[in-house]
This record gives sequence, C-alpha cells and structure tokens, in this order.
Amino acid sequence: MKKDHKKYFGGFGGQFVSESLMNTLEELDQVYEEVIHEEAFLTQYGYYMKQYVGRENPLYYAENLSKAYGTKIYLKREDLNHTGAHKINNVIGQILLAKRMGKKKVIAETGAGQHGVATATGAALFGMECTVFMGEEDMQRQQLNVFRMEMLGTTVACVRSGSKTLKDATNEAIRTWAKTAEDTFYVVGSAVGPYPYPKIVKEFQSVISRESKKQILEAEGRLPDVVMACVGGGSNSIGMFADFIEEPSVKLIGVEAAGLGIETGKHASAMALGKPGILHGMRSYLLQDEDGNIQIAHSISAGLDYPGVGPEHAYLKDSGRAEYVSVTDKEAMEALQELCRLEGIIPAIESAHAIAYAKKQAQNMKEDEIMIVCLSGRGDKDVHTVADYMAGKGYLN
Amino acid sequence: MTNRIEQKMLALREKKEKAFITYMTAGLPDMAGCKKLVYAQEQAGIDVLELGIPFSDPIADGPVIQNASYQSIQLGTNLKKVFVLMKEIRAKGVELPIVFMMYYNTALYFGLQQFVEECIASGVDGLIIPDLPLEEQGELKEILKRENAPILIQLVSPVSGDRIPRILEDARGFVYCVSGMGVTGQSGNFHRRIQQYLSEVKKVSKIPVIMGFGIEQAKDVAPMKDVIDGAIVGSHFIKLLEANDYLPKAALEYCSTFKKELNEL
Repeated sequence: MKKDHKKYFGGFGGQFVSESLMNTLEELDQVYEEVIHEEAFLTQYGYYMKQYVGRENPLYYAENLSKAYGTKIYLKREDLNHTGAHKINNVIGQILLAKRMGKKKVIAETGAGQHGVATATGAALFGMECTVFMGEEDMQRQQLNVFRMEMLGTTVACVRSGSKTLKDATNEAIRTWAKTAEDTFYVVGSAVGPYPYPKIVKEFQSVISRESKKQILEAEGRLPDVVMACVGGGSNSIGMFADFIEEPSVKLIGVEAAGLGIETGKHASAMALGKPGILHGMRSYLLQDEDGNIQIAHSISAGLDYPGVGPEHAYLKDSGRAEYVSVTDKEAMEALQELCRLEGIIPAIESAHAIAYAKKQAQNMKEDEIMIVCLSGRGDKDVHTVADYMAGKGYLN
Repeated sequence: MTNRIEQKMLALREKKEKAFITYMTAGLPDMAGCKKLVYAQEQAGIDVLELGIPFSDPIADGPVIQNASYQSIQLGTNLKKVFVLMKEIRAKGVELPIVFMMYYNTALYFGLQQFVEECIASGVDGLIIPDLPLEEQGELKEILKRENAPILIQLVSPVSGDRIPRILEDARGFVYCVSGMGVTGQSGNFHRRIQQYLSEVKKVSKIPVIMGFGIEQAKDVAPMKDVIDGAIVGSHFIKLLEANDYLPKAALEYCSTFKKELNEL
C-alpha cells in the first residue's frame, strides 16, 4: 500500500476528496510550508494576534472555582479574544495564507457561528468577499451570530440538506469549494478535513498551549497535571494540547458532548461509540449507522454538534496519549451556571462541557495539583438557548 | 473471463461507436421498479450503467442526486440489498456492464474484502468512487487484484494537469473526464478549457475517454465529439425519471434517442 505518511496521523487523516481538489490541496500545502517558516509571515501573524485579536490572553487562576472543586484550576481565556472565541486564531492565519495564494474570496462552514463570525471578521479586515455556510437549524439556534456575520458584510448561505447542522454545512462548503477553488480559499474552522487542513489548524491554534505553558511556568513554576478542553471537531483542544503532547507528565483530556446521554443514542461523541470511517475528506472516528451512513449528532451546543472528530484526536485516543470523555447537555448547563455565579464568567455552552468535566476530574486530584481548562469561547451567543433551557423548553434538534 | 466493460469498449471501437452511459440511483422508485429500469435501458442499447449506491453525505453530487440518494436511503436501500438486486439482474441474463458509483465509506464500512467478494459474486464490473483520489487507492487496489474483481474507474478533472499521466498509468475500462469544476448536475456549465483539457487526456489515454457531468442531450457534446469516446448522463436522467414516474418506457425512449444521436454527431 502506497501511503504518504506525512498525510496521516497513524491510520487517520488522508485526503478523501474529489480529484479536482487534489492540486489545490497540494498547492495549499506547499504555500503553507513556505510561509510558516518565513519570518515576515510569522511577524505579520503575530502582529494581528497581538493588536487585533488581543493576545496574549490571560491564564486566569479561578480561585472560587478551585475552592469549590478542590483543586487548582486555571482558565485559558480564549473567550476574551476579539469575536469571542479561539476561532479567530486560525482564521487570521488562514486568511493571510489565502492572500498569499492570491485568492479574492473565502468560504467557511459554521456550526455555532463562532467560526463564521471569525471568518466574516477576517474577510472584512482583509477586504475579501466571504460566504459562510450554516445549517438552517443552527441559524435558528444562533440568530445573533447570523446577524453579526451579515453586519460584517458576509453572505450567510442557509443549508437545508440532511441534518441542517454543521455536518451538512461542511458538505455544502466542500461542494462549493470544488466548484470555485480556482479563485476561492476554504477557511476550514476545525482540526478536520483533508490534509493539510488538520495540520494548518493545529499550527494556528497551538498559540493557546504555547502561551499557557509559558504562563503556568510563570505562575506556578511547573507544568500542569491536567490539561482539558472540549472537543467537537477538535480545534481548541488540539491547540490546547499541542505544546503539552510531548510532556508525558501532563494528562490530556478531551471532553465530547454526550447530548441526552450516550446510552440514548442522541449524542455527539464520535470517540465514545464511533467507528473509523470517512467524512469531509478525512478518515477518523465517526458516528455511523449499520449501513455506514453518517448519523446525525445531538448536542445542545451547536459547536459540538458534529458526528466526527479531527484525525489527530483519533490518533491521540488510539495511542493512549489523550483521554476522551463526555458530558451531557444537563451537566454542561449546570456547569455553565456554576461558572457564571462563582467566577462572573458566562462561558459558551461548548466550553461549559470542559468545565463540567473539570468538576468530575477534580475529585481525583489533590488540592495543590493543577488543571488548565480551555475556556474556548464566551456565552453571549448562547443566552437564548440558555433561557429556553432554563424555561424547560429544551432545544431544537 | 474478460471484464464486461473492457469487452464492451473493444466492441464499440470496432463498430466505431461512441459509448452512452447512464447513471441512476439504486433502489428508486423501489427495488422492483429499479430492475425494470435496468432492463429498459439495456433494451435501449446503453453501453454501461452506473448504479448509484446512496450515501448520506454525497459531497461530489449536486441537489438532484443528493435528493435521489436521500429518497433511496429513506426507502431502506443499502449495499446488501443492491447486491441482491445485482444477482437477480444477472440471473435474468442481463450482460450489460454495471458500475457502482459510490462513496468510499460505504465500501469501507461493509469491509473491503467482503465488499470485493460480493462484487465478484454478483457481477459488478466496475467502481467509481469520487472521494478516492489516486493517492488513497492503494488499500482497495490491493484487494481488487483478485480474479474477476471490478475495475476501479479513474476520474480526471479539468484542473488535474500534470496528474493526468499518473492517473492514467494503469487505468482500465475507460477514463471518466469530469466536464467542469464542482458537483454533478450543473447543466451547460462545462469548464472554459474543456476542449484543450479533453484533448490532453485523449493524447495520453490508451483507453476510451468518456465525458460526464452536466450533459443533458447528445448535442451538448457535439463540440467535443472528436476528442471523446462517449458520454455519461446522470442528474438529467434522474430528473427525467422523476418527471415520468419512473416509467421504463420513458427511460427506453430517452436512452435510445441519445444513443442514436450520439453516433450521428
């Protein structure tokens, strides 16, 4: 079997796309490898990270939460970034790449809308035409983000096929890209998709762990015992893990969405029950039915509502380097409210999944042990969902 | 036994005829109706049939085939049932070359070994897998080395450029030239370099060059008639079937006319 190993993480990853995209992916990889070692590009990226995104953001010692849960908890404040989540780190990087490749248009897929808003923002900043594909159901759940994208001059394309959520928005983005790749750059929002996207997204998100490592060494003089992040496609988590993967003393935990409970079948935990398969150009763990069709994921969080996971996470799971767990909608919503009241921070529902598991994990930790939790985004976009949930109306999907 | 596709292509070359290939989604309007449509098309004189195995996430397909796939899945169509259909068709003496058009995950989930065994047992002659580019084909090709295994049909696109010779190196049956960028069913939207591109493929190809995507009538390919050896109709054919309640007669008429006109171009 002739397999190009740089395109794989163990048996996961690859390039399962139409022939018409193969040269585009090759060109993308070449340009990326060129610029990522180029000082001018890195300086430019660093400039926008500092002056526009507002990095570095704090690694905040959550004293009240630590007291309540019984171990030292630090929150990596990606929620304080411009546009309110970690997504912008990757978007700025990819749009700079797009400019370098001479593309005039960008497209993106979005679930919760955070990646869509970040892409719309980057497109406005760099004067590019932007279309964001979003599932009809997600558009209802995340009306505020739809409006934000439109204010930023982006066209939001409503996707009504299939599950009407992130999975199908991604299909539609890939279809459009296959049609328009000659002048259009696809800004992939998570650590998913065909090679080289998982590699590129990881690189641009690894700023999260690079800063965290430096900050925790300053604050505590040692590495953390546990690093934790929520996992949908897995971009904030791969960024949070990146610089700790080679530190064997640091336990890495990825938290997937268990929706109404793994046992109900209504969940989004590709790693809990998923089998390896192919979706969106990659081989990874996926939720599939008995015929190999992709199943619809369920989560109260639009950003975690994805039936697959990035290929490097699949590899980290199989190799045992990272552990993947899941928490239910209910647990996440309780954690969200707890963080509001204890720390005065309204987290995104996605990030609240990590907080919920932090509470469980803390029970196995000593008071002076250290855990870093990636607070990947802020919850402003979710207030309607939270209000509906608290009023007992449940949620769509 | 030589492969049915290769036999057919040889026969066409001798007759100096162009190949006409249709695509239809398996399981529509139901399994019995689907069988009747196969018989009608064979009678009409099509040269190869592409049978679409429905998949939940058909990223190479436009709205028409997406919708047909969705309908078929709702009716319970799966790979196992299509293998049964194939066996029934072959038992009736249908010798029409049949190609599965499918997404890789469907075969992978079924188990590649078992999948290829079933293909051999049920008389599947070829595979078109749009999300399995050259670089990812190794695993499947290894298993397709078995005797009487189906041929993996190679696809090329208008932007394949210097990849074309590599793709064609050990290609068999015919080469499927995608007429434009993007997905199936964008009528009249051939790539601006279509002539040049097809000529490039024709120059290096030892096997028939067949064009697909966005074709509705034989006259659509008239400008390319000197550089192609055949045409494939998918989305338009599905629309036609839908508009005619999947009547075998409608399929028969359309296919006979297209095949006739294609060879009068």
